[in-house]
Amino acid sequence: MTTQQAGTPGNATTTAETATYVYAVCRQLRAAALTGLPGLAEGFPVRALRCGALTAVVQHVPTAEFTQEAWEQRLSDRTQLERCARAHHEVVVAAAACGPTAPLALATLYRSDERARQALGEDAARFTAVLDRIEGQAEWGVKVSLPAGAPRPLDRTPPDTPQGSGKAGAGRAYLERKRGLHQAREQRHDRALQTAEDVDAALSRLATAARRLRPHGQEMTGAASRRQILNAAYLLPHDRAEELAEAVETWRTRTGAQIELSGPWVPYSFVGEV
Amino acid sequence: MSAHAPVPWDTPGPLAGPLGVPLVDLLDRVLSTGVVVSGDLVIAIADVPLVRLSLHALLSSVSERMPAPWADGGPL
Repeated sequence: MTTQQAGTPGNATTTAETATYVYAVCRQLRAAALTGLPGLAEGFPVRALRCGALTAVVQHVPTAEFTQEAWEQRLSDRTQLERCARAHHEVVVAAAACGPTAPLALATLYRSDERARQALGEDAARFTAVLDRIEGQAEWGVKVSLPAGAPRPLDRTPPDTPQGSGKAGAGRAYLERKRGLHQAREQRHDRALQTAEDVDAALSRLATAARRLRPHGQEMTGAASRRQILNAAYLLPHDRAEELAEAVETWRTRTGAQIELSGPWVPYSFVGEV
Repeated sequence: MSAHAPVPWDTPGPLAGPLGVPLVDLLDRVLSTGVVVSGDLVIAIADVPLVRLSLHALLSSVSERMPAPWADGGPL
């Protein structure tokens, strides 16, 4: 439990040329499930590592290429970041084809297979609980966005027609207009929040578990004209996927919002909190 | 209103393949979820352990270091 300080000076093996990268933990794997996967380090097979009743999906990686600096560089480069994320995901997906699989966070590294087995073994109860929870379930992603809504000028005439008092009337009209714009913005904001709440509540009712992820800003979606108001993940039994899709369609029609559904995902968002 | 179809991932079997996954959704998951266990080598970006780093934090740390690498790449 406490043997995992990062800086623990070990014996001679601390200078080992390879480290053990762990992708996921599952119960068991078909022998062929991982064959041919490149993973993150070419030339090193992605393989199963038995840890008591559990199986870790691991790969030896060259230690020199997986240092802090190497990661910083890797993640600063969009192409490398993507390659890395997809390689990790590809292994996770391959393992998940054999049964419930708990993905580990990116870049979980141990000094050796032995250390990985030891550390994961200490968490065996947690992994077992996670695997029980996600068995037969898949994660679905739902993103809801609305038009960003450029503040449109109010077309109604000011309530007090500014004929009475000339300048003062014009000033009041200006303030009214400002206030009107402000209110319109606030209302739009409230409506957006309400829509997000409504959709989330409805979909959560279908789900075993629900989780909100942070909405993506416009710099990430690349759609300046839309604002994402909900980025959520739902865990559902495999046989309820259709129900979810139907509910999404219903809410699309009802709200006019753009609702994107993605999945089925290995339940990444539902393995970290047990 | 919008005619945007759901993200196309109509692969035959469940969890069949990673190819159609939009990167931004993938990073949401691969970076900031999953089981967090303490590894021997703790990788941190801007002092945030990578295993807890969100996509947002990553993007901002990346853009500090190298301005606007995403600008020409369109949406993530």
